[in-house]
Amino acid sequence: MKIPHLYGFAFLLFFSAANAISQEQGHLNVTTLVQMEEVSVGDDGDRQTRLIPADTVVPGDVVIYTTTVENISDEGADNVVVTSPVPEHLSYVGGSAFAPGMAIEFSVDGGASYAAADALMVDEDGQTRAASAEDFTHIRFVMQGELAAGAQGIARFSARLD
Amino acid sequence: MLDKTAQSAVRGHRPGRISRLVSALLMMALSSPALSAGTAVGTVINNMAQVNFEIAGTPTSQNSNVSSITVQERIDVVVVLQSPQVQVAANDTDRALLFTVTNTGNGTETFQLTINSIIGGDDFDPVPSTTPIYFDSDSSGDFSVGDTAYALGVNDPLLAADASVDVLILNDIPGFVVNGQIGRSELTANSATGTGAPGDTFVGQGDAGTDAVLGGTGGTGTDTGEYIVGDVQINILKSVSVLNQFGGTEPIPGATLTYTVTVEVTNAGTATNATFNDPIPADTTYVPGSITLNTLALTDVIDLDAGELDTSGAPTVVVRLGNLTQADGVQTVVFQVTID
Repeated sequence: MKIPHLYGFAFLLFFSAANAISQEQGHLNVTTLVQMEEVSVGDDGDRQTRLIPADTVVPGDVVIYTTTVENISDEGADNVVVTSPVPEHLSYVGGSAFAPGMAIEFSVDGGASYAAADALMVDEDGQTRAASAEDFTHIRFVMQGELAAGAQGIARFSARLD
Repeated sequence: MLDKTAQSAVRGHRPGRISRLVSALLMMALSSPALSAGTAVGTVINNMAQVNFEIAGTPTSQNSNVSSITVQERIDVVVVLQSPQVQVAANDTDRALLFTVTNTGNGTETFQLTINSIIGGDDFDPVPSTTPIYFDSDSSGDFSVGDTAYALGVNDPLLAADASVDVLILNDIPGFVVNGQIGRSELTANSATGTGAPGDTFVGQGDAGTDAVLGGTGGTGTDTGEYIVGDVQINILKSVSVLNQFGGTEPIPGATLTYTVTVEVTNAGTATNATFNDPIPADTTYVPGSITLNTLALTDVIDLDAGELDTSGAPTVVVRLGNLTQADGVQTVVFQVTID
């Protein structure tokens, strides 16, 4: 399990919360949403996509995780780093991580170490090879500047259900 | 008087079960579905982000809420023909085609089976047997006594994710068909929950109260098999020429008879391990070393070449012609005897 020390906590929330209950513990308001894309074709033939709650996810579907960090204190926050596991049964969709003003790094070892996507290696059958998107276990978004009081940052990635 | 129509016999066999099984295994290996069942229906996937930051130099950590998704049921089914083209003759009954039905969804699903033998683009329509669908219960790959009849709505197969079942469809062959004609028949498996366009959702119809969503197959799978008319037909022609010791053509004692036998497959199909047997006629003596196959000399003893004089019983010329098809053309066996 990728986040064992958070388990009891997660369980409580699961029963008490819908998808988007923010955690207000003082300085930051941190919210994670999981959604999926719905594509519809309008009368004029245009394809429209919108994000809908991920209620009917089946194998092969792509879900989108969005974490929003809002500074609700009156002081700036430095060295803000958002870390999210790629949950079990899901595979990261290559190139999908997106976070304005943040550097994006990946882990292939359960979050012990991070590097840029193209710098990661994995061992397979005694051979070392470049990591692929399916190997990523965690994603880390490193904010480049201060998160000013009242400001918010957004980090997003997509993953496909195995 | 000599009997100039001495018995010749060429025996052919249809391709045996072993070759059919090998073909079936080969096809199974080649046709495994691209997307296997995937994450099991009902699986709950929770995720939580963590944020580390510093306020006025003090490191702090904070978690997000837990986002949660519950995997719903994806309905998919794939039907794959396992039989090679089946060779049939006019008026054959209960000729089987073997298919494998695989649940490629992620839940347990019931499938309904139907046969259709009226398909465009072929030469004749096979006629579904009275009970046209069977489970290949004994895994023989062919219709046999141990197989269980299928009845729509009665014993529809219930398949767990990734599970499969072998199904036979049976057709009779009409009397009017001629060699070389092809007739097709197909097996369809439909999800009992429903079929439709990929993405169509049946609210609350999935396993454990989840929604059921049609995957890329739309909840239906079909494959088509093929019958070809053509019992192997073999033309055999035997002729004899006479040359006596006086240079004439009178069949007198001491004259040499040269028998020429031609063997030819004249339609689709294969005569497997075709063997030519021709007993030496009564009142004659075989001329040692006189057997040829397509002008190539064959020794009289049993060895690595294709023929011999079998003396274990009545002396008989034996030539093994291998797996003969129309493409092999005319095979010519020649041997000589002298009149006693």
